Amino acid sequence: MINFEEELKKFHPSLEVEDAEEAIYNQDLTDMADLMVKVVKESKKTGVTE
Amino acid sequence: MICYQCGCNLSEHDFCTSCGADVALYKKIIYISNRFYNEGLERANVRDLTGAITSLRQSLKFNKNNVEARNLLGLVYFETGEVVAALSEWVISKNLRPKKNIADDYIDMIQTNQNRLDIINQTIKKYNQALTYCNQDSLDLAVIQLKKVLSLNPRFIRAHQLLALLYINNEEWEKAKRELTKCLEIDTNNIATLRYLKEVDEMLLPEEGVKNPPKKKHKSDEVIKYQSGNETIIQPVNVKDGRGVTSLLNLGIGIIIGVAIAVFLILPARIQTAKAGIDEDLRKVSEQLDAKTATIDEQQLQIDELTKLNNDLQQDLQAYLGTDGTLRSVDSLMKAAGAYLTNPEDVTVVADYLEEIEKEDPEGETSNSEAFENLYNTLLALVGPDIAKAYYDDGYEAYRQENYADAIPNLEKAFQYDTTNGEALYNLANAYYRVGEEEKARATYLQIIQLFPGTEKASKSEAFIEEMDSAD
Repeated sequence: MINFEEELKKFHPSLEVEDAEEAIYNQDLTDMADLMVKVVKESKKTGVTE
Repeated sequence: MICYQCGCNLSEHDFCTSCGADVALYKKIIYISNRFYNEGLERANVRDLTGAITSLRQSLKFNKNNVEARNLLGLVYFETGEVVAALSEWVISKNLRPKKNIADDYIDMIQTNQNRLDIINQTIKKYNQALTYCNQDSLDLAVIQLKKVLSLNPRFIRAHQLLALLYINNEEWEKAKRELTKCLEIDTNNIATLRYLKEVDEMLLPEEGVKNPPKKKHKSDEVIKYQSGNETIIQPVNVKDGRGVTSLLNLGIGIIIGVAIAVFLILPARIQTAKAGIDEDLRKVSEQLDAKTATIDEQQLQIDELTKLNNDLQQDLQAYLGTDGTLRSVDSLMKAAGAYLTNPEDVTVVADYLEEIEKEDPEGETSNSEAFENLYNTLLALVGPDIAKAYYDDGYEAYRQENYADAIPNLEKAFQYDTTNGEALYNLANAYYRVGEEEKARATYLQIIQLFPGTEKASKSEAFIEEMDSAD
């Protein structure tokens, strides 16, 4: 049985056009490639330090 | 594919030929991103938009620079009515690849049409307002607002889902199902949609489930099954009764339908035909009436003309009769002249003929010829005194014997034929006076005074007039 109140909580206000710019700036664009590069760089640093 | 360290194009080797960096893992990451993109594209092709969004997001998690995946994600967002999310993806895509990017066209498509942009903005604001109404328990207002949203953007899946949820809450299952069906037409594999639809179907199905089974049971009750050798015999029970009732029912329905057809289809047509016939007859009768009226008018005109002609002819006839009268006068005059020439002494015969002339034209209106007048005057001059004397003698004798009834016409004739005979006129006046005709007596006395002034008869006449005045 669907609980109306619970289901209603799943609906969020939609972004308006004026808020689009802010949403773009706040978007987390970090991807797996970035993580890999970061890991590689850190491992290199660790290797150099050792 | 380019090296993450130096930016040079990579070869088939697992290291960069330019800087020597190990790119094996990087290549795997890129491949995984591409694989998710392909999966997303396939899902989008079969309208599994939710699955496509998941795959494309995964693709971008592995490689944020996968412009194709980002553009497709924007397009899928746009299809589901999430315009701002779509714009965000396209703007990022355009920043990643400023040239030769289809995202540029998508952004232009929205931004160049200000009206479309306004509608998108209104849609989002109304949706947010509907959500606010829901949270404030103003569910009726929320339904109205969502209907407006969907009229502006029929592909807004979240609005469809929220409206369906509101219908489910009101237990309006059919309406909810309609909205959810629309959702499925846009996005075939939306989890929320499918969940809501399952709930709705569960609420709708039991009614159908209750209706159908008894029919089957009823049917199974109507037969008897038994085994005869290798064959299973199925014998219907009470088929005849059922058929009889059904036949009667069908017959009744047929009669009702027949009557209904007769009343609603045939009868109006018959009435219409009868009305048309009556109208036609009425038209013919009207035409005949008009024709007869015209004939009557024409005949009335002819009657008037004939009446006028008849009057003219009557006048002509009268004129001819007048002519005939003149002819008779001439005839009488000729006879009088003939009688005088035959026996001049017999004045009474001449007098009779002359009297006939007088009778024909007592007032002297008929215009006689000059010869007629001359002959008449000559004859009158020749016999007039003798006739006058004869009349006077007779009149005076009667007067003397106080026989005034005979005296008066004779004396009148005597004066008529001899206007110089004052005695005749005086005796006539006295005769009038004696018989009591005072008016005639007075007029005759005045005539005596006028014609014979200074005579004894005139003075006596004056005395009589004074006597009559004093008597009045």
